[in-house]
Amino acid sequence: MARSNEVKLNECKMAVSLNTWVLISNFKLAYNLLRRPDGTFNRHLAEFLDRKVPANANPVDGVFSFDVLIDRGTSLLSRIYRPATAEEPQPNIAELEKLVTAEVVPVIIFFHGGSFAHSSANSAIYDTLCRRLVSLCKAVVVSVNYRRAPENRYPCAYDDGWTALKWVNSRPWLQSQKDSKVHIYLAGDSSGGNIAHHVALRAIESGIDVLGNILLNPMFGGQERTESEKRLDGKYCVTLRDRDWYWRAYLPEGEDRDHPACNPFGPNGRSLEGIKFPKSLVVVAGLHLIQDWQLAYVEGLKKAGQEVKLLYMEQATIGFFLLPNSNHFHTVTDEISKFVSSDCIKTIGERIMQCIGALLCVDYVCLFKCFLG
Amino acid sequence: MLRYDSTSSSAGSSSGSLSSSSSSSKPPQQDIDGLLAGAGYKVRSSELRQVAQRLERLETAMGNSPADFSQLASDAILYNPSDLVCWVDSLLTEFAEPPPTCSSDFIVDPVNNQTVVNSAWTTAEPHTPQVHQNITYDEQQSLDNQLTVVTAMEEDSGIRLVHMLMTCAECVQSGDLSLATSLIGDMQGLLTHVNTVCGIGKVAGHFIDALSRRIFQGMGGGSVNGGSAFENEILHHHFYEACPYLKFAHFTANQAILEAFDGHDCVHVVDFNLMHGLQWPALIQALALRPGGPPLLRLTGIGPPSPDGRDSLREIGLRLAELARSVNVRFAFRGVAASRLEDVKPWMLQVNPKEAVAVNSIMQLHRLLGSEQTRNSPIDTVLSWIRGLNPKIMTVVEQEANHNQPGFLDRFTEALYYYSTMFDSLEACRVQPEKALAEIYIQREIGNVVSCEGSARVERHEPLAKWRRRLSGAGFRALHLGSNAFKQASMLLTLFSAEGYSVEENEGCLSLGWHSRPLIAASAWQAVPAWDNHMSSS
Repeated sequence: MARSNEVKLNECKMAVSLNTWVLISNFKLAYNLLRRPDGTFNRHLAEFLDRKVPANANPVDGVFSFDVLIDRGTSLLSRIYRPATAEEPQPNIAELEKLVTAEVVPVIIFFHGGSFAHSSANSAIYDTLCRRLVSLCKAVVVSVNYRRAPENRYPCAYDDGWTALKWVNSRPWLQSQKDSKVHIYLAGDSSGGNIAHHVALRAIESGIDVLGNILLNPMFGGQERTESEKRLDGKYCVTLRDRDWYWRAYLPEGEDRDHPACNPFGPNGRSLEGIKFPKSLVVVAGLHLIQDWQLAYVEGLKKAGQEVKLLYMEQATIGFFLLPNSNHFHTVTDEISKFVSSDCIKTIGERIMQCIGALLCVDYVCLFKCFLG
Repeated sequence: MLRYDSTSSSAGSSSGSLSSSSSSSKPPQQDIDGLLAGAGYKVRSSELRQVAQRLERLETAMGNSPADFSQLASDAILYNPSDLVCWVDSLLTEFAEPPPTCSSDFIVDPVNNQTVVNSAWTTAEPHTPQVHQNITYDEQQSLDNQLTVVTAMEEDSGIRLVHMLMTCAECVQSGDLSLATSLIGDMQGLLTHVNTVCGIGKVAGHFIDALSRRIFQGMGGGSVNGGSAFENEILHHHFYEACPYLKFAHFTANQAILEAFDGHDCVHVVDFNLMHGLQWPALIQALALRPGGPPLLRLTGIGPPSPDGRDSLREIGLRLAELARSVNVRFAFRGVAASRLEDVKPWMLQVNPKEAVAVNSIMQLHRLLGSEQTRNSPIDTVLSWIRGLNPKIMTVVEQEANHNQPGFLDRFTEALYYYSTMFDSLEACRVQPEKALAEIYIQREIGNVVSCEGSARVERHEPLAKWRRRLSGAGFRALHLGSNAFKQASMLLTLFSAEGYSVEENEGCLSLGWHSRPLIAASAWQAVPAWDNHMSSS
């Protein structure tokens, strides 16, 4: 038993650098302390262990942040990150909600990870990540402090995401100069990626435009045990047992993992054919055991004629994008930057191609390239 | 058992030698791994390998009996998760064998019993340029540049009001009093259109008043804090009832004092501001229930002299003695009347060398910070004699705010957001007159921060990071508050119906805040033994 644990450890060590290994191992260990076999969660210890940082209205490396109470009833806070502009390197405190000045400013609504149970918008790792996103995409980032499981099950996290989306969409100061509309992207890591998908669905139903979804290692699953789950169970800091625990904690009691929240294209899922779903960038870590479900998600989008780009990072483990010290990290950040900025140059021609692509259930990107010759 | 700050020793947990100077209690900043610092962890690059090995040991130990761990975690007391070396060691102590006494780059392969070079990570170092991998971790800079804002959506007039407040403060700073005066008038007009029941409208009114006083009455401002001691005590009592800040302070300090007094039969608590003695019934009762029986408890309460001949200190002492008698705790009380804390001399406290001493300061130390940083300023004098008492513990609770900045505009801005957050939290209180009087209590603080200067300005709050530096420099080391104190503080909060309060752990200290903004911070300290100063560095 000890021997096979050692083998798994060594494999993980060879895939990542030392400080990344220390970070994800520390998380894994800490998380093991928090999940109880009876399905309850040691929330006090979780909050004690979580490293948090306050918002800072003074720019640091060109980014400043402040917290906003979006909904008093549920104490829903979000942390807003904005770039300090060249004209105004030191923002006036009274003007934190000043109008964005650029022609087009992407607003990225970010949902942190933690498998629905861990972390907060003010967790240090996510504060750092959101600041990077601001610089990378010249965007405003809104990090939502959604309610967590097991105290708050489905659909609380989606409800909070939806509240945040409506709030963002209705802020005059977030509208781009070009068209007086808020240019919204949804992004998330792990459970946050799952939330982004479901919030996008609600957006479509209500006629709110979402320009794109960025799903970093999104959390999906299903009843069946897939090949990658069997092959990678216990390796690279993730186990099937912990995945099952988190789904049991989030899904309504008595539901199994084919519930559409967990398995959106499964037996209880719905087809997205004919629906104007936002384009998606899906990043899959090749050493993560849930990748078969993530790949199935991508397939599900493609089959429904939706625009999706898959970034399969073969040698990446969970949490690889938390520290900027790997090739995977830089590849992914480059793609995110392109994904968000490409919106600015959408032409009529591109929009036509998108419709044709959807009708023919063809990968839009390929078709466009063919059209250009 | 309380843990002390291991960073005050030059080697990690493995060696016993202590650093030579009492003033340097932090590792050289350049060696801290910059990337992990961004994730909230402080660990030296040179120690990463050691931490990794210990994580591996824990991994193996946990692999053998995973279900036990969550149970063990519920019972274990854990400390300072930011200090990875300490944190991992404490986990090992709880869950596995203690760590080895010397760090090594070799692990013994348990199956083959051969020494294996543990170099797995070296081959995996990426070839991308590692820019800022070990950035110079400048804590000083990040500390001085912090401004935390939590805001709810305000209507336009609210935003305009904030704008005008800032402009007015700027005028005051630059000396343009005529513009400042006309702005006061405009703001008072605007107030009638803004919701003054909650949010920025409520707190704006108090700031306008304070600015007005500063402009028109000069900065003596004696009248602001000029309520009688009796009045102040009443307001303080209602602030205690209306919101959890003082309860948290008392509760957390008592926890730490209780632990520090473990095993001692004669204990002496020195309270720097007795007020109505609200903190002490709980400690007396906890001591009464102590396994092995209660110690002899002496309490010395410091407070202002009563003008009307009453000995209010003694009255409080009598009441506490009554309580102690009812739970069979031998108790003695002594009152020390002093208008200012710096007037107290250690001999007045009559500390017995055989007793374990706890010095308790709830929002008092900041009053000793004068406007000039002279060599023997009151804070230095007082900290020095506290150290001379060699207390088992010194509990310090302070407002988590930067209200002692020299620049008026900076101070004003910080105070505006600090107090609007605090007022916001008070909205949850439904009880009157507690709420109204608590608001007056806070209002007086605002008045002092904004409209007073020099010796009249006593509300010189400084953030925890500054206190850490100051106290370390004065020969104290931090005693870490652990996960049990955290949990109990969190549970205390659930007794309050308001959802927005949260307890946070910050390198061994606990803070209580509203909506992610810490407002009050509690820490515990011990004097570094004097003989450490004579040891040479290794």
